[in-house]
Amino acid sequence: MDGVSDMQAIFGIDPAWFAGSLFVLTYVLIVTERLNRAIISLTAACLMIIGGVLTQEAAFRGIDFNTLGLLTGMMIIVGITRKSGVFQYLAIWSAKKVKASPWGILVMLVLVTAFLSATLDNVTTVLLIVPVTLLITEALKINAYPYLFAEIFASNVGGTATLIGDPPNIMIGSAVGLTFNDFLLNLAPIALIILALTLIPLYLIWGRHLETTPERRQRVMDYQEQDAITDVRLLWQSLFVLALVVLGFMLAHPLGLQPATIAMFGAALLLVLDNLPRTASEQSEAVHKSFCEVEWTTIFFFIGLFIVVYGVESTGLLEMMANHLLEMTGGDRTTTTLVVLWVSAVASAVIDNIPFVATMIPLIENMSSSFGGAEGLMPLWWSLALGSCLGGNGSLIGASANLIVAGFAERSGQPIRFLPFMLMAFPLMLLSILVSTLYVYLRYL
Amino acid sequence: MMTAASVMDPNPSTLRPTDVIGTAARCIMDHRYRNLPVVDEEGRYLGVFGVNCLLRLILPKAAIIEQGLTTMPFVRETLGQLHARFNENENQPISVCMNTDIETVQPETPLVETLLILYRSRASIPVVEEGGKLAGMISYWDVGRKILSAPVE
Repeated sequence: MDGVSDMQAIFGIDPAWFAGSLFVLTYVLIVTERLNRAIISLTAACLMIIGGVLTQEAAFRGIDFNTLGLLTGMMIIVGITRKSGVFQYLAIWSAKKVKASPWGILVMLVLVTAFLSATLDNVTTVLLIVPVTLLITEALKINAYPYLFAEIFASNVGGTATLIGDPPNIMIGSAVGLTFNDFLLNLAPIALIILALTLIPLYLIWGRHLETTPERRQRVMDYQEQDAITDVRLLWQSLFVLALVVLGFMLAHPLGLQPATIAMFGAALLLVLDNLPRTASEQSEAVHKSFCEVEWTTIFFFIGLFIVVYGVESTGLLEMMANHLLEMTGGDRTTTTLVVLWVSAVASAVIDNIPFVATMIPLIENMSSSFGGAEGLMPLWWSLALGSCLGGNGSLIGASANLIVAGFAERSGQPIRFLPFMLMAFPLMLLSILVSTLYVYLRYL
Repeated sequence: MMTAASVMDPNPSTLRPTDVIGTAARCIMDHRYRNLPVVDEEGRYLGVFGVNCLLRLILPKAAIIEQGLTTMPFVRETLGQLHARFNENENQPISVCMNTDIETVQPETPLVETLLILYRSRASIPVVEEGGKLAGMISYWDVGRKILSAPVE
């Protein structure tokens, strides 16, 4: 590997040992949550360089700027768009479309959440949808739990469907060169099937018991969704830019552009449109606020993590692990693919799926020669995406969006407890992986 | 040195955590209080209950929780519906919704520091002794009267 061939770790320790131990320690610390994950990954990244595993130049090469650019660009676009009130409009409009019937609202909010999670990131989606959900369930005087549970599922399933829906997809797409259309054609169909199937147990367990009075439904019907739009001009500008960005993602391949360029251009264009009518001093404030919408904690977490994983990869450890995995599966592609799918799902239910996917990408790349080149790896990539995205549904700590919803539930006095959630969510997650197994087997193997 | 103790009301009206919301609300409305201190049997300070707590009771939870709805121009509710929402809670003890995290001062807190906290709190502030006992309350009006009646130096 460039720039890392003459490695000598600090105090004469074997670089593989040093990098491996640092990697394991990073994972353990992330799991314990004693320190913020961004601090952990940045410290570990610096230690990879100070410890002599990587030079600074090599470390920078390990950072996937395409993933960072795509995430940052989308965060800026969504941060500006949300000010228009369009997401609240969408949630209320959908609730009124079903005449405020409790089960109808649940289905509509699941669809809205899944759609928004597929086009925006999951955390932003639940931050926008959950408060409206709480408002509606309060007006209907019904328990918010089934709605919040369903929205957690919808956000993770929706996020599975597209390149930009969930960070694992962004990372896989960027590392392997898979396009927006590749994800849409390969993962959106199965995401839709899983979403529809998930609604069946939700109906049997909760849906058929949800009841309210006509007066309470009328309260929701009295909401004036058009008044949720607080800035009509911004609304049209945002929708125009979002449409342009999605079109850009679809045409990225023939245009020869990377997703980060498209997202960043969308962000820049929306900043231009949003700031043109403002004075210079107003612009400084508005631009500062827009950049504050970027979740820098996540971005720095990614930066550190990319360096740590690159450090481990440079010592040949991941190649060794890949060979071990191949030995265990007898080098059989079908077995390896299904192992990746199920292990990703269970692992993502209990640990952060971002470091897991960051580790799995180079590990799977190392299997290329055994499966006849890049094309032979395709089932493994789709399995990794499905497992790591859907696995997030397995527990309350499986995905950041789950924790955000749990936080809202706690603050509204209807807490979601870890074990009761897992008792329902884990089997449902396994069901979605079972369906995915069938899909992957029938379509790719 | 002028301190919080020199501008406080040492005998403010107080509420008990077991007082019901309906009674406390009438007391607040009748006397136009902003905040009343809540104390236990031994006079230890527990929190405040005031007009903001009343507003919190009639607003949808989705708006008052952290990261909740920042605007709600689409919600249409009548005075009667708001009254009904208030009635749902009026027999509950005030301990369920009193504010326990407002800034307090000690009797020996210097005057200007006290005024800064008063300015930031935008409501009367409790004066609490080191052992947790309520020493008094400081309102805008007490401070204003005392400053304006002092000889100019």
